[in-house]
Amino acid sequence: MFDTVLIANRGEIALRILRACRGLGLRTVVAHSEADSEASYIAQADQALCIGPSAPGQSYLNQSALLFAAEVSGAQAIHPGYGFLSENAGFAARVEQAGLVFVGPSAACIRTMGDKVSAKRAMRKAGVPCVPGPDEALPQDPAAMLAIAHEIGYPVIVKAAGGGGGRGMRVVHDEAALLDAMALTREEARQAFGNPEVYIEKFLLHPRHVEIQVLADSHGNAVWLGSRDCSLQRRHQKVIEEAPAPGIDEALVAEVGERCAAACRQIGYCGVGTFEFLYEKGAFYFIEINTRLQVEHPVTEMTAGIDIVQQQLRMARGERLSLTQHEVRCQGHAIECRINAENPETFAPSPGRITGWQVPGGFGVRVDSHANAGYRVPPYYDSMIAKLIVHGSTRNDALERMRLALAEMRVEGLATNVPLHRELLRDEGFAVGGVDIHHLERWLQQRSAA
Amino acid sequence: MKQEQIKTLIDALAASDLAELEYSEDGSTLRLVKQSALTAAPAARRPAAVRKATAAVSAEPVPPAAAECLAPLYGVVHLQPALGEPPFVQPGQPVEAGQLLCVIEAMKMFNEVRADAAATLQAVLVRSGQEVEAGEPLFRFG
Repeated sequence: MFDTVLIANRGEIALRILRACRGLGLRTVVAHSEADSEASYIAQADQALCIGPSAPGQSYLNQSALLFAAEVSGAQAIHPGYGFLSENAGFAARVEQAGLVFVGPSAACIRTMGDKVSAKRAMRKAGVPCVPGPDEALPQDPAAMLAIAHEIGYPVIVKAAGGGGGRGMRVVHDEAALLDAMALTREEARQAFGNPEVYIEKFLLHPRHVEIQVLADSHGNAVWLGSRDCSLQRRHQKVIEEAPAPGIDEALVAEVGERCAAACRQIGYCGVGTFEFLYEKGAFYFIEINTRLQVEHPVTEMTAGIDIVQQQLRMARGERLSLTQHEVRCQGHAIECRINAENPETFAPSPGRITGWQVPGGFGVRVDSHANAGYRVPPYYDSMIAKLIVHGSTRNDALERMRLALAEMRVEGLATNVPLHRELLRDEGFAVGGVDIHHLERWLQQRSAA
Repeated sequence: MKQEQIKTLIDALAASDLAELEYSEDGSTLRLVKQSALTAAPAARRPAAVRKATAAVSAEPVPPAAAECLAPLYGVVHLQPALGEPPFVQPGQPVEAGQLLCVIEAMKMFNEVRADAAATLQAVLVRSGQEVEAGEPLFRFG
């Protein structure tokens, strides 16, 4: 069982993992790039190792450097966080081969779930509801392809088996466009993911993005920790998330949640994970599993009252789940706003030095951030500098708390999307709840037209 | 221009109280600027350059030799489309208004930097892959 964890990530999630480790009495080693060497969280770790230059390819994605950092620091486990190498089956395999613990599911599991076709097949087998369409790659024969699309009914969406996170997909509205779209997606997939396999599904017009958080140990136990709604997205990037997903029949969510937990047991899943669904007209449709910790995990922590990162580390240490499904109680409502260093109008990134930093606080308010006054946001990584999370007894309570928190938040020296969040929290559609995944894009279009 | 020649010019500049020195021979131009000159008076230099860079409508006559293209944001500058490919522009080359000069990468987004007006590129003031500050001079035009 490990007592030292190498944190192979940066920013707020590195600090979040560090805190979870500390809570469990584990020693922490932070692997960081040159650009992050001045960040204050680095100094909070028991040990810090610079693993390479600022560009992610030479540091946070450098597998050999990370393995070497684990070796020299005596870390017996590597926590990949999210992004970077967190869903890289090859890296997980190398960690396992080195005799270390990868904090996440097995390499084999990541590989199966990373392939969208095999993931869909596994989910169908476990009884998880999926988007209409075959759970196998499309055949090469044009007539066979057209027949499959015809059976599903247009519009359909052509997706790369190796894709995910909104990449490698194309919507087809009629038969005439299918073969060209197929060929194009296949070629893009070959180049982007090294896997030309594509599959086809029914394209839902106005779905919501609803997901289920799961937690599983290595002894065949799994629970689900409630739902999240992450429908407010811009270019497939989540902007605001909340838990639970509002206005959905609780019995239906529980049924789907149970199926997810059952699927975990069936496939031997270990650790934390997220089953992502599209939700339309009262039905759930599985889209993919994220085999890692997610950015928006705090909204579930706030409602379920469970430290998900500590649980993830406990599962990786081989502990048994300490709670049963009926002990999971989700209470109240939580909302998270992702605070990015970007222009709130144009979305142009704005890296640079933070000269003033005042974060909100008080009852039911949580800020997960590695930033502070004097911190320089580097231009090499993504633009998220903080997560502002609130918890309320009801959704309206949480909305009101978030409005006050956003009003309190001050960041000086660079542009942030705080003003955008303030506007969105005043949007009537969002306030009512249950908007679809196109709502934010429509809202932005209307704003620029006004 | 030979290496010894450049070394001689550097020494000559260092020994003098000049801030910069420009030397042309056979169509190639060498421009040397003292580090102290760059750090001591950037505030005085930049506003002039900004005026030049923003528009030709500026009423104030700015000598064309002083025209500089400044970084619009803090980021990592790329002078070529990809490793191993030729740079977007080379010193001595004429550029058109709107021509792509370089790309500044910030947070996974690539921001194109284009020429404001037709001019001849005199010098590239940064290295590819280097971090540049907002307002830092990238190119000098003649």
